[in-house]
Amino acid sequence: MDAGVIDIAPWRLLLALVFTLVAGGCSLALKLGLGRDILIGTVRTFAQLFLMGWVLGIVFAVDSPWLVMGLFLIMAAAAAQTARGRVKESAVAFAWPMYLGMTSVYLLVTTMVTGAIVHVQPWWKPQYFLPIGGMVLGNSMNSVAVALDRLFADMRARAAMVEMKLCLGADAAEASDDIVRTAVRAGMIPSINSMMAVGLVSLPGMMTGQILGGSDPTQAIHYQIVVMLMIVGATALGSTILTLIIRRRCFGPGDRPLLR
Amino acid sequence: MAASQQSAATPGSALAQPVSKTAAPSGAARADAPHMALRAVRFAYQRPGDPPKVVLADADMAVPRGAFILLTGPSGAGKSTLLRLFCRLEEADAGAVLLSGQPVDELSPAVLRRRVSYLQQTPTVVPGSVRENLLLPFAFKSASGQPRPADAELSARLARLAAGDIPLSQEASTLSVGQRQRLCLARALLTRPEVLLLDEPVSALDAESARAVLDAAESFCLDDGGTVVLVSHAEFTPARVSPVQYALSGGVLTWMQASST
Repeated sequence: MDAGVIDIAPWRLLLALVFTLVAGGCSLALKLGLGRDILIGTVRTFAQLFLMGWVLGIVFAVDSPWLVMGLFLIMAAAAAQTARGRVKESAVAFAWPMYLGMTSVYLLVTTMVTGAIVHVQPWWKPQYFLPIGGMVLGNSMNSVAVALDRLFADMRARAAMVEMKLCLGADAAEASDDIVRTAVRAGMIPSINSMMAVGLVSLPGMMTGQILGGSDPTQAIHYQIVVMLMIVGATALGSTILTLIIRRRCFGPGDRPLLR
Repeated sequence: MAASQQSAATPGSALAQPVSKTAAPSGAARADAPHMALRAVRFAYQRPGDPPKVVLADADMAVPRGAFILLTGPSGAGKSTLLRLFCRLEEADAGAVLLSGQPVDELSPAVLRRRVSYLQQTPTVVPGSVRENLLLPFAFKSASGQPRPADAELSARLARLAAGDIPLSQEASTLSVGQRQRLCLARALLTRPEVLLLDEPVSALDAESARAVLDAAESFCLDDGGTVVLVSHAEFTPARVSPVQYALSGGVLTWMQASST
C-alpha cells in the first residue's frame, strides 16, 4: 500500500493510443464519420492535460491564493463555454449570466468543501481546491446544459400554455413555473441517479485516484462520499439558480414571451 | 396617417373613428379618453436575412367603451398582431397603445392583461378538471383580493355559453375543441375584464359552439358594457350588436363603416 503510484513511462503512454486506434477502426468499419473527432479529441486530451499538469506544477510551487482563484475562474469559463455550446438557442442571450452564475455557485460549493468539510488550511490550498473545484465544474456543467436545453425547448413547445396563463393575469414566473420545475428536475436527475450506482457499478475518479496513489480505501471512500454529495448540491444549486436567472431572459419588457 | 375613412358612418352608429395625431398622454387614465386607442403605431416583423415586413404603418384607432369592433383582412395581414399589441404580447416599434388614455406600458402587465383579456385562436387548457381550469386565473398574484367563484357561479357561467351540461369535474383535455373554446371564454369572462380580444375564436368550431361564443361576446358588449375586438376571417353575422368594421391590409388600417343589423 505504501509503494505509491507506479509511473507510466512516456512510451507506455503512447501504447495507450491503441485504444483510440480501436475507436478509429470502429468508425472506419461502420462508416461512422467520427475519425476526425477521435483524432482531434485525442490530440486535445494530450495537449490540455499536459498543459494543465504543467500549470498545476507552477501553481502548487507558487502557492498563491490569487493564482488559484485565477485558474479556477479560467476553468469556470471553460465549463460555461462548453455548457453554452451544448444548448442550441440563439434567440436568448444567456452567456454572461451563465458564466457569472456558474462561477459564483461553484466557487461557493468548492469553498464549503475545502474550508468546512475537508478543513484544509488554508482553504484555497491548490492541491485540494483545484481538483475539487474541477470535479464540481465538470459534473455540474452537464446538468446546467441539460436544464437550460430543456428550459428553452419547453418554452417553445409550450408557448401557447405560457401565453394563455399570461393572458389570464399571470406574471412571467407564474406562467412558466411548471417549465422551470421540469428543467431543474431534468438537470438534477443524473447526479441523483449516480448516487444510486456509486460503489456498485462504478468506483469514481477521486476514490480510484486515491487508491492508486496508495491511500487506504476506507479513507478514500470518505472523500468520495463528500464528492458525491457536493456534486448533487452543486448540480441542484447550479441548475436552479441558472434556470431561474435565464428564465427571466426568455421574456421581454411587459413579460412578453420571446420564444414561440 | 393610415387609418382612412372610406365611407361616412351613419349618425348614431359611429362608435369608432380615426383620431387626430396628438402626443400620447402619460400618467393616470383619462375619463374622456377612448377605451382603447392606437396613436401612430408602427409594427414590423424582422426576420434575420429578410427585409422587415410592415404590418402596421402609422396606424390610428380609437375604440369607445362598449364598442364592438370587427377586424377583417387577409391572412398574415397582422390582425392578430394588432390584438396582441393591446395586451402587450407584442411591443410597437413606434407610437402609443393606450387603455383609457394611459399607455399600456405604464400598467403592470398582469393587471393590464386582466383588464384586456385576449382569447387565443386555439383554446389552451391546463391538465386537470374543468373546475381547475376555470379557477386557474384566481391562483395568480394579480387576483389577490378577488373572491374565488363558487361552483354555482362556474356552472352558471358555462351555462351562459350553452355548456352547462359539462360537469365541473370532467377532465378538460377530454372536451371537444368547441367545448374547450367555450371553457376558455368562460374562464376569461370570470376574471371580469373590461375588454375582450377575440382572435378568430370560432374558426375551428362547429356551428353550435360558434354561435354560443359569438352570443357570449355580444352579450359581454351589450349587457355588461364591455368592449370587444373580434378578428374574423369568416363572415360574421351579428345577432344583436352593430359592429364597427376595420380592415387591415398591407400595413394599412382602414375604418370601413359602422354596419347596422
